[in-house]
Amino acid sequence: MSGCILRATAVVKRVPTTEGDLTILEGIDLAVDAGAQVAVVGESGSGKTTLLSILAGLDLPTSGDVWLDGDEITALDEEQRARVRARSVGFVFQSFQLIDSLTALENVMLPLELRGQRQAREDALGFLERVGLSARTTHYPLQLSGGEQQRVAIARAFASGPKVLFADEPTGNLDTATGGKVADLLFELNREAGTTLMLVTHDAALAGRCAEVITLDAGRMQAPREAAP
Amino acid sequence: MSLSLALRLALRDWRAGELRLLLAALLLAVGAVTAVSLFVDRLQRALVAESATLLGADRVIDASRAVPQRFRDLAAARGLVVADVVRFPSMASSDATGRSRLASVKAVTPGYPLRGTLRVADEPFGRGQRTDGLPARGEVWLDSRLFPALGVKVGDAVAVGYAEFTVAAVLASEPDRGGGFLEFAPRLLMRAEDIPATRVIQPGSRIRYRLQVAGSADGLDSFHDAIRNELAPSYRWRDVRSANARIDNALERAESFLLLGGLLTVLLAGVAVALSARRYARRHYDHVAVLKTLGATPREVQWGYTLVLLIIGVAGALAGLILGGLAHLGIIAALHGFLPVSLPLPGARPIWVGLMTGFICVLAFGLPPLLALRGVSPMRVIRRDLAPSAASAMTYGSAAAGGLALLVWYSGNASLTAWALAGATVTVSVFAGLALLLLRGGRALGMQAGSVWRLALAGLHRRHRENVGQIVIFGVAVMLLLIMLLVRTALVDEWQARIPEHAPNHFVLNVAPAEVAPVEALLKARAGYDGRMFPMIRGRIAAVNGVDAGAWQRQRREPHDQPGEPRDGPGGRGRPGIRRERNLTFLADLPDNNVVVEGKWWSASAAPSASLEQDYAAALGLAPGDSLTFDVGGLPLTATVTNTRRVDWDSLQPNFFIILSPGALDGQAATYMTSFYLPPERRPFLNELLSRHPTVSVIDVEQIIAHLRRIIVRVAQAVELMLALVLCAGLLVLIASIQSSRDSRLKELALLRALGGTRRLITGALVAEFAALGAFAGIVAVVGAEITTFTLNRFVFELPTSLHPDIWPVGPLFGLLMVAAVGYLGTRRLVRTPPATALREV
Repeated sequence: MSGCILRATAVVKRVPTTEGDLTILEGIDLAVDAGAQVAVVGESGSGKTTLLSILAGLDLPTSGDVWLDGDEITALDEEQRARVRARSVGFVFQSFQLIDSLTALENVMLPLELRGQRQAREDALGFLERVGLSARTTHYPLQLSGGEQQRVAIARAFASGPKVLFADEPTGNLDTATGGKVADLLFELNREAGTTLMLVTHDAALAGRCAEVITLDAGRMQAPREAAP
Repeated sequence: MSLSLALRLALRDWRAGELRLLLAALLLAVGAVTAVSLFVDRLQRALVAESATLLGADRVIDASRAVPQRFRDLAAARGLVVADVVRFPSMASSDATGRSRLASVKAVTPGYPLRGTLRVADEPFGRGQRTDGLPARGEVWLDSRLFPALGVKVGDAVAVGYAEFTVAAVLASEPDRGGGFLEFAPRLLMRAEDIPATRVIQPGSRIRYRLQVAGSADGLDSFHDAIRNELAPSYRWRDVRSANARIDNALERAESFLLLGGLLTVLLAGVAVALSARRYARRHYDHVAVLKTLGATPREVQWGYTLVLLIIGVAGALAGLILGGLAHLGIIAALHGFLPVSLPLPGARPIWVGLMTGFICVLAFGLPPLLALRGVSPMRVIRRDLAPSAASAMTYGSAAAGGLALLVWYSGNASLTAWALAGATVTVSVFAGLALLLLRGGRALGMQAGSVWRLALAGLHRRHRENVGQIVIFGVAVMLLLIMLLVRTALVDEWQARIPEHAPNHFVLNVAPAEVAPVEALLKARAGYDGRMFPMIRGRIAAVNGVDAGAWQRQRREPHDQPGEPRDGPGGRGRPGIRRERNLTFLADLPDNNVVVEGKWWSASAAPSASLEQDYAAALGLAPGDSLTFDVGGLPLTATVTNTRRVDWDSLQPNFFIILSPGALDGQAATYMTSFYLPPERRPFLNELLSRHPTVSVIDVEQIIAHLRRIIVRVAQAVELMLALVLCAGLLVLIASIQSSRDSRLKELALLRALGGTRRLITGALVAEFAALGAFAGIVAVVGAEITTFTLNRFVFELPTSLHPDIWPVGPLFGLLMVAAVGYLGTRRLVRTPPATALREV
């Protein structure tokens, strides 16, 4: 074990509504070791995505602490959290989140360019090749299929060499066959890079590929269980 | 974010077409403002040059003593050219005929006139030809009127003082003739070098000296600075403006108008920049959210997009300057034939105006929406409804301040800017309320209409917040156009009314009472005269309320009379000295172009009464109720001031500071004067008039009128051109505004198409929606235009105000057609896009 890379303590998330505060997350405590693969499962509305956003530093909890790669991100401002994200985090989203006005290559180059990396182009080309899209580097997202778009997104996520990869329903927008291939790619790259994976899904099969599964029910964590081998 | 990354982002955005509208808005903003500024700058220089010909120079120094050589040296040292003009009255006589006549002698040095040209004719009252020459030494050129008076012809000899000269030509016109009554004696032009031989200049002679100066603006300013302290009290510095109040008025209003037009162009272009920047920002919310999840910090986002905007700003400003330069050449080419043959080169200011417009547009209008990108939450990648909070009041405050600074700097006229802005603020708030009402009404109406209109009006209602905004924007654009149209019409009408066709171009003076009837008859028969004879008598105010006038004026601490030549008569507003001799008249009725402002005009049987011009009365501190004692030919005459009048000095009619009631001057020997129109081709009639009535004097102001008319035509053209440019800027705003609503329409149209709406139905609904939007905007615009025009005419241009029912249908109709057409063209592609593509783009 290389130690704990992600830890949440007593995380609570409430949002104000017209009928009073709505509790989305309540008393979340978790610790994730570096290199672990964790799936967060639960029904729609159980708070999975909110938890992921808070753990990744995209959103702040109402109370509680989150530590990510040695930083207490709940004590940082947006400026500092962005730096932590740049340094340590990669994302794969259900809706791909590619930038329409950029080519596949440019989308992959973006995180490298943001870090001021000189070899951005070469590195990005390498990752596109790794996801099997070296023939489509100059295509725009709208010219790619859903599966291809998600592969570009995966290439982008790994391009920056993240320590933790957050994936939000990465196969949710894809058909079963394509989804399966994308998931294979994701796990393969993850293994190669030794990245910690936090995966939100309601697909039991996908969750089953993770070593650890956290189940959320109405914002509360159910007792953790080991995934079936 | 580094500059190179910002540059790459900008390039990629450009390639994706995201920046085109913003760049186009900037390009047009800078281009339009530069083109207008360049053109106006050059036209103004041309107008000033044209006006300068009325002065015969760029500047003149008038004096009652010889101008010191030092002045000439100082002027020469600054690269200026000078010419001397000496004027004095003297008898001209012909030994051959034994006749003599008082002439107004003008003796000049070579170089005269520095601006404009002399015209000479072969025979008296003939049409003149331009000449660059002057009389040679020993020669004179005579005004046409001197030929019949002296009984001479070209080639004969005339004497001035002790010297004898040869009549070499008929002087048809001189640029700096002036219309003043001081010089109503006919002109005799000679060389200044010949003056000593005449020996007419003696101590006490009534001589006016004038130094004409011409050259670069800098040189003139420097020269003025150098002699400023030595001018008073003997020398008077005059430029085109101080020399001619009438031209000053026209120029000033034209400048105000062009500035107003330029201001509106800047405002409209600013709105277009703001709209396209907002659209750009909105389309980048997702983009920025992704950047942020990838680790871009808010600060990097802010600086990155500021850099992108600056890159666009530099590109837009530079390209805009080039476009503006080309456009202004196009304007000049289009107006070829109307403009002076060669316009003077522009100064540097238009370039600065263009560049500053670009940068302030970028910073004040373009930056605020982009700054909002800093606040985009990275959570947006998960929840798309998360839009950044609206930019802070401070952001918009700084935008408003920047915009205001631009306007004030551009116009250099705080009151005009303040009025325009106050009007705009009130208008926008009123517009928003009115637009809401119209949308509600439209919705109710739509429920009863056919499917296309129902769809359209439901669409309008559904996006009512956005649509209120669009109606306000369209409304403002249409309103600005209407305002320009109305103000232009008022200005041009007013200018043309000032110098109507067949305005009197000759004054007849010195008509003896016995000659009134025959002169009137002759004028009626030969010149279609239908004017009025004014009795005229010289007199001065000797006492006020029984106190000696001089003592009375000292008590009141009168403003000083300015040194130099006082102006009097039609068109000239002299600064009054109370004891100066003036032309008095006595009239039963109030003359045309005069309005009583205080007190009442007299009835037939009143006691001796006086009516004073209002400014004259105010300057002397006189008011109705004061008793004035006049000295008329040595005899005292007392009259009570019963009213003050406003006089239209620009009317080219005989005007008087002091009018007395008819009985007051009984028994005094008056002469009579009048004015009449004589077509240029019938000028030889003057020969007949002067031969039959040799003591009558005629003053020809045709030249001044023609000059004024030329200037006014030119100014009116500039004004019309401005209108066209404002129209372009308005169109740009329309396009930007429709483009910015494009994205929100896209999804809706795609859905409608997917649900089976035919292209025809959707196009119909779209056009109907835009038509309704345009018509609503037009209604709103008419209301705003009436209010603003009223305010502008009343307080800025000082023109008469009235409602304009003729534009009431124009506004809505114009709005409907323009917005429907531009809206259709702007969204046509949306309708043609296959629904699947459209839905994917959403």
